[in-house]
Amino acid sequence: MAQVSNKVSVSGTMGISYEGYGLDRNPAGWTGYTPRRPWNQVRFNFMPNFQFGKNFSLPFNINLAALPTNFAGPYSGFIPGGPKQNFKQWMTNPVNNIAVNPKYIWAELQLGTQYLRYSELSTGDIGVFGAGFDLKPGQYRIKFFTGTSQPGINYFAGPPLPGITGAFKRNNWMFQIGKEKEDKYEVAFNFAKGKDVISSSAPPPLTIKPQEGFVISMVTNVHLNKGWYVKLEGAQSVFTTDLNTASTLLIKSFEPFIKAHTATTRDYAGSGAIGKKGKNFDIGISSKYFGAGFQTVGYPYLQPDRLDYTINTKLNTWKNKMNIVASLGQRVNNISNTTLKANQFIGNLNWFTQFNDKWSLNVNYNNFGFQTASGLNPYGIKNVSNDLGISPTYTWSKTKMMHLFSLSYNYSKYNERDVLTGLTTSNNTHTALLTYVPTYFTKDVTPDFSLMYFYNDVPMAKTTLATISSGLSMPAAKKKLQLRGQLQYNLTQLNSFKSDNNLIASCSVDWKMTRQFSWNTYLSTNYFKYGNSIIPNGANYLESTCRTGFQYKFDTKKNKSL
Amino acid sequence: MKKIIAIVCFMITAQSLLSQININLTLPGRPPARLSEWANRRDVLTLIMGSSQAVRFDVKIKTEIKTLDGTVIGTTNLNTAKTYTPLPGASTILNALDVLPLENIVFTGKHQKALQKTGKLPADNYMLCVQLVRVPDYAPASAVTCKTFYLAAYQLPTLMLPANEQELNRSVAQSAITFRWTPVVPASTTPVTYRLLVFEILENQKDIQALRSNQPVLDKNIVGTTQFIWQPQLSMVPYTSADSLSQKGKKFTWTIQTLDNLGQPLNPTDGNGESMSEPKVFFVLDKNRSRKSD
Repeated sequence: MAQVSNKVSVSGTMGISYEGYGLDRNPAGWTGYTPRRPWNQVRFNFMPNFQFGKNFSLPFNINLAALPTNFAGPYSGFIPGGPKQNFKQWMTNPVNNIAVNPKYIWAELQLGTQYLRYSELSTGDIGVFGAGFDLKPGQYRIKFFTGTSQPGINYFAGPPLPGITGAFKRNNWMFQIGKEKEDKYEVAFNFAKGKDVISSSAPPPLTIKPQEGFVISMVTNVHLNKGWYVKLEGAQSVFTTDLNTASTLLIKSFEPFIKAHTATTRDYAGSGAIGKKGKNFDIGISSKYFGAGFQTVGYPYLQPDRLDYTINTKLNTWKNKMNIVASLGQRVNNISNTTLKANQFIGNLNWFTQFNDKWSLNVNYNNFGFQTASGLNPYGIKNVSNDLGISPTYTWSKTKMMHLFSLSYNYSKYNERDVLTGLTTSNNTHTALLTYVPTYFTKDVTPDFSLMYFYNDVPMAKTTLATISSGLSMPAAKKKLQLRGQLQYNLTQLNSFKSDNNLIASCSVDWKMTRQFSWNTYLSTNYFKYGNSIIPNGANYLESTCRTGFQYKFDTKKNKSL
Repeated sequence: MKKIIAIVCFMITAQSLLSQININLTLPGRPPARLSEWANRRDVLTLIMGSSQAVRFDVKIKTEIKTLDGTVIGTTNLNTAKTYTPLPGASTILNALDVLPLENIVFTGKHQKALQKTGKLPADNYMLCVQLVRVPDYAPASAVTCKTFYLAAYQLPTLMLPANEQELNRSVAQSAITFRWTPVVPASTTPVTYRLLVFEILENQKDIQALRSNQPVLDKNIVGTTQFIWQPQLSMVPYTSADSLSQKGKKFTWTIQTLDNLGQPLNPTDGNGESMSEPKVFFVLDKNRSRKSD
C-alpha cells in the first residue's frame, strides 16, 4: 500500500479586541456634541487558511462584533439600546461576516456571507449569506451563488430614535459563465437577481418598498501586445421599484426571470475602456453610461442616468524623476431628460519632480464645474471648484541623521450661484503646512513635527485654524515593544469670537509577546473647548477611545506531515 | 326650425346628464416624478365624485395626460378600465390608483419609451384631464376637469471632494478635511438638507459593508450649501503597527443623504430608497513618511 504524505500548513490570523469609547460633555445637559462610536464593542476575528498539500485549502473568514452599530442601509436602527436582533438578522448583519471557502484545485465552494464581485455592472457591493461555487476548469469559468442579502426586519418607530427603518427579506442569486485566459482575455455572461419577500416584515417599512431586480451583462476584456487593453461591458436591467403595484402587459417582462409591474423599468448600461499601459507611459480613455432606469440589486448605491467619459494619462520621465498624472473628463447627468440636464467637468493634474537629491516639488491642480439649466428658477445652478497645491520638499543628510523639510500650500476657491438671486458666493480656503521629519541613522527614534495654518473665507464667516503637532515612534524592550505617540493642538477662530481650543493625544503600544502572539493597545483622547462662538459659552467635551486586543498569527513556516 | 329645437333639446338633455355627476380634481403643481409613486401617496391625486339622486348608471374614469399644446400622450384604455357605480346623492373619493391606473393607461411615442425605461415622463409641464363616461356607450357623464403639473425627477448629489480613492496628507487631514458635492437637481422649492456621513472602514471590511454596519464618525446636517469643512478631531495614526491598512493609513467612506424639508429622504423611490448618493472612499496617510521611505 502506497504511503500518502500530505503537508499541512496554516496561515492567517485570529484575535479578539475590545473598543471602549467615552464622552464627557460640559456643562451638564449640553448635547451639542454627539457620540460617534459605540460605547463598548468587542470584535472577534478568525481567519486561518488551512492548506492541505498543494491542492486543497480551507480558508475561514469570520469577523464578528458583539453589538450591532447600523446607521445606514437595511439594518439601520440596530443600535445598542434598541430592539434586539434575531439569529437570522445577526447572521446576515453586515457587521458580522461568517464564511468558509474550501477549495480543491479549480473548484471552490463558497459558504456563508460572500461579497462577490462578478462585474462592474451586475453585482459586487452586497454581501449575501448563502452557498455557491466558483469553478475554473481550464479556461472556463462557472460561478453560482444563492442566498439572502437581508432578512425581514420589522419597522420600529422607537424609542430609541430614530427607530428601525425596516427591510423586506431579499433573496438573491447570481450566475456567471465564461472563458478566461489570464492576462490575455476574458469573456463572461453574468446574471444576477434579487427579490424581496413582501410578507417578510410586519409592520413593513414605511418608506422602503418591496423590490425585484434582474440584470444580465456581458463582459469582454482583452489584453493585447505592448500593453494595450480593451475592456467592455454591456448590461440590461429590469427592475421593479414596488412589487405592490399591479402587474402589466404594457411593459415587457423578462420571463421566466422577472415579470413586469407598473413600477418596472427596463434600461441599459455600458462601460468601455481602451488604453495602453507601459513602464513609463500610460494612456487610457474610459466611458460609462447608465440609463435612467438602470438599477441592480448588486449595486444599490449606483447613480444612474449619466454618461461619463475620461481620459487618463501617466508619464514618468527625466530618468524617472518626473511623474505626471493627469485626467480630464466630463459627466453629463440626465441623459433621459427626466430632470434638468447637468454638465460636470472634471480635471486633475499631479506633477512631481525630483530635481536632485535634495529638492523635489509636487504641484497638483483640480477643477470641477457643475452647471444646469434654470428650470423653474430664475437662474441655473453653477458651481465651480478650483484647487491648486504646491509642495516643495528639501532633504539633506549628515553623518548621523537625515532631515526632511516639506512646505505645502494649497489654495481652494469654490463658487456657488444662488438659483433665486443669481448671486455667486465665493468660498476661499488657504492651507499652509510645514513639516519637519528628522531620521536618525544610529537611533531607532523617529519623530516628526508639523505646523499648519488654515484660513477659510465665506460671506459672514471667516474661520482660522492653526495646528501644531508632533509624533514619535520607537521600539523598546529589545524591539518587542513598538511605541508610537502623537500630540496635536488646534486653535480655531470663527470671525471675532473667542478661539476654540482642541488638544488631541494618542498612543499605541504593540507588544510582540511571542513570534506569533501580540498584544496591541491604542489610546486616544480629544479635548475640545469652545470659546464663545456657541451657547453655552465655554462648552467643552472630552472624548476618549481605547482599543486593546490580542492577535495570533498562524505560523506559515511550520509544516507538519500527516 | 325643428332641427334647431332638436339640437337645443339635445344640448339641454346632455347638460342635465353631465350635471348629474360633478367631479373635483386636486393635484399638486409638482407631484412625484415617478408615476407609479402617485398610487402610494394618497395626498398626490384626489378625485371627488358627487352624484345627484337621479344617477342610476355605471361609469368609467377617462383620464388623459396631455402636453400643454394639447397633444394627448397617454389615455385610459376604457375597455379594460374599472367600472364604478356612483352612490346616488353621495360623494365618492378616489385617488391615483383609480384615476391613473398605469396598467390601463396607454402612452404613446417617446413618452411611452421614457416611461418604460425610467418610470418617469420627460421633464416638462403636463396637463391631467379627467372625465367620467357612462358604461357601456362611453357617453360623457361629467364635465372634463383638468389640472396642470410640472414633472422633474430629482437627481441626487454627486460627491466631488475628496475624490474617489484620494490620498489626503495626514498632517492636514487631522485638522481639516473639505467635502464638496454637487447640489440636488433641479433646485428644490423647499430647502433640502444634505446629511453628510463619514464612516471609517475598519480592517477586514469592504467599503459598502462599513457604510452599512458602522456608526458614522461624522453625521452632519448641512442646509443651503454644498461644502463642509470637517475638523475630524481624530488621531489618524493607525491602530497598530501590524495594521495592514497602515500601508495606506486610514480609510474612510463618505456619502450624502438628501432630505426634504420634513427630514425624509427626498427621493425614496429611486435607487437605495434612502436618497444616499453613490459613496466614495478616501485615505488619510502620512505622505512624508511614505516619501521618505521612497
